[in-house]
Amino acid sequence: MKRISSRQLYFFLACIAPVGKLLFLPTQLANSARNDLLFPMLASYLVQAGAIFCVLLLAKRKMNLYELLENTFGGIAAKILISIFALFLFYATLVPLLEQRLFVQNVFYDTLPSLIVFAPYYIFAAYVISKPLSSHGRVWDILAPLSVFGFLGILVLSVGSADFGALLPIGAGGIRGFLRGTMSATNWFFDASIALTLLGKFDYGKGMAWKGALFYLAGGVGVLTFLATFYGIFQETALHQLFAFSQTSQYFSGVTVLGRIDYLFIFALALVMAFYCILPAQAGVDCLLQAYGKPRYLPTVFSVLVTGTLFIISLTLDYRFSEVLEVISGTMFWIFPIFTVMLPILCLLLRRKRREKA
Amino acid sequence: MKKHKFLKTIPMKLYLILAVFIIFYFFFNDFGLVDIQKTAVILAVGIDKTDNGYSVTTEIAVPKGSDRKMGGTSSLEIVGEGKNVSACISDIFSKTSWVPKFVFCDLIVIGERAAKEDVFSYLNYFIRNKYMPESCNLAVCEGTAQEIISSQSAIDDTSSLAIGKLFSDASVKSGMVMPNTLKDFTIGYFGPSKSSYLPYLRSTPQKGSHTHGGSGGSNSSSGGSGGNQVEEQAYSAEETALFSEGRMVGLLPHELTFAFSLLKGNVHAGNFNAKEDDADATLTILEDEGGVELDMKKQKVTLSLDLHARLCCKSVTSEVEEIASEEASDEALESAEKLLRADIEKLWNTCKEADCDLFNLRRSLYRSSHKKYEEWKDDLIDSLEVEIKTNVNR
Repeated sequence: MKRISSRQLYFFLACIAPVGKLLFLPTQLANSARNDLLFPMLASYLVQAGAIFCVLLLAKRKMNLYELLENTFGGIAAKILISIFALFLFYATLVPLLEQRLFVQNVFYDTLPSLIVFAPYYIFAAYVISKPLSSHGRVWDILAPLSVFGFLGILVLSVGSADFGALLPIGAGGIRGFLRGTMSATNWFFDASIALTLLGKFDYGKGMAWKGALFYLAGGVGVLTFLATFYGIFQETALHQLFAFSQTSQYFSGVTVLGRIDYLFIFALALVMAFYCILPAQAGVDCLLQAYGKPRYLPTVFSVLVTGTLFIISLTLDYRFSEVLEVISGTMFWIFPIFTVMLPILCLLLRRKRREKA
Repeated sequence: MKKHKFLKTIPMKLYLILAVFIIFYFFFNDFGLVDIQKTAVILAVGIDKTDNGYSVTTEIAVPKGSDRKMGGTSSLEIVGEGKNVSACISDIFSKTSWVPKFVFCDLIVIGERAAKEDVFSYLNYFIRNKYMPESCNLAVCEGTAQEIISSQSAIDDTSSLAIGKLFSDASVKSGMVMPNTLKDFTIGYFGPSKSSYLPYLRSTPQKGSHTHGGSGGSNSSSGGSGGNQVEEQAYSAEETALFSEGRMVGLLPHELTFAFSLLKGNVHAGNFNAKEDDADATLTILEDEGGVELDMKKQKVTLSLDLHARLCCKSVTSEVEEIASEEASDEALESAEKLLRADIEKLWNTCKEADCDLFNLRRSLYRSSHKKYEEWKDDLIDSLEVEIKTNVNR
């Protein structure tokens, strides 16, 4: 079986994971916390980095998630628990997938295209999901430079148009704004859960836990810089600017003369996002495979079932994204901290020694 | 054995069927392509207040045909009326069956009467329209927006393109025009200052210009087509309209627009006239460093309007040997300093009278202290002590 190297894992944490937080999340945070939007993001990043630290410590035990659960609770309970976790991961795919679809439909087309324009993506998704999660290491090797290129390009073109004074006065949104912002950001922070499913696919190296957390925070610094630039450009109007990373660079003075050259960087990030937004679904399928064995046809069956379901859901919820977001990041926001923060911490309490099999 | 083999291949078969179905379905869509014959590509919008609501004039780009001798963009003006902008746009659709498309709209002109009420009662429509570029220029005009949008420009077939030239980077650097975009105007409106500015457009008939018999590039649906005489117009935007809480509350003449540009630090190579030996001397701004600062450390809140400018003299009657020298004389500098100081003072007084926070002082206060902002925001402008510092040198 292919193994994920530590470099590939760090690439994921520092370069791939931040991309998913650049589309709707900045708008959502501007809506909840106004000019204090950096603080909910910082808090979410710190909590998630702590969770990732815990997950990477678990890698020392050289067991995958299912084996860890089975070792403590036995086969049946482990199967039930991991199936619930897989369901959560499929649920976590919903928002990134819908925002990716809306992004493609709204940014790459001048008028609202037909629903089917995005349909071929599901064929791609089905193919990617049917592949083993460990094969993603090589993908991250390719996507990480692309992500850095796209991100830096957009930032360079945007930063000159920003008035960073708009982030003042600090604390104007109050504690309520901070809490609302943190709460509404939870569904974009599932990286520790992805890292949990990667257990057993990479070898623990010296200092990997704190290095991984630091790399994740390094990506967070990039996201915070982008967020500050985004609010600096749009200020009071930031709360209705959807698809943040495709909006900020259009005010670069060269764009009026040369046209939307920033699309080069937007396309680079869109490509990275195409892989990132189905990663939870792929991680969910991997969990099921850990629990139910790996016959040759099973990955394809799971992949077709999951993608088909997501396709139908996405067709059904076509014009209801704001309602979906309201439910997932509003009413049901507590689901995410359970699986992305509490679960990694609780996993540290699982039995360390391998149970001897009868 | 056979059954087992069949079961093993089912997922792949299902996957292939799904892929074929989606690809087949995919090729039955229009790929988001726009049929130019069925779409109104709107280049500019003019908004006017009428007795029954609003009137929206749209300048729509039309294909010019295959005649290669005719360059540029041809346009057509369609007017829609209704109780709000949305109803006006629907009216345009019902008149033409063209779906209005704002993605290329680069200018919104607000008529004089419409500017007297809260402009966001109708600009909201454009802010909420996700296909409307927020970098679109915004302006107020003398008279009605319909007149200016439907007028025949002396320099371009399409009036909006001719007006767009007024807002170029070169115009901004000359200090003659203070353009503003939908995004920045919106930020000003929703921000703590609740104030902003827009360039004020005027059109003047060109002396000795041709009159068009309706067969030119531009023709209006409201005026009928063919046969009507249209005089060519030249546009200017040297004045600046002041806005407070979305309403136009004042107008800066061109010299105050220039002073505002200088304080913004926009001017590079802009010209203005001063006096030297009782004659006019044209001075050029080589360097402009403007600044507006709110000082809250003193007992009374002080506003300092600072201007540092480096000038050179461009045209004063002189001996032929002196033409090469561009150095401004002490007298010219002194006169320039006096003039600029007086203009800045006038600018401040105009803004104060109009209750327009043009320099975003409330925003500065809000950013420095939320508490003080709540305390002082209502009478900040009236209670300020103003210090004007000008430093003009060669």
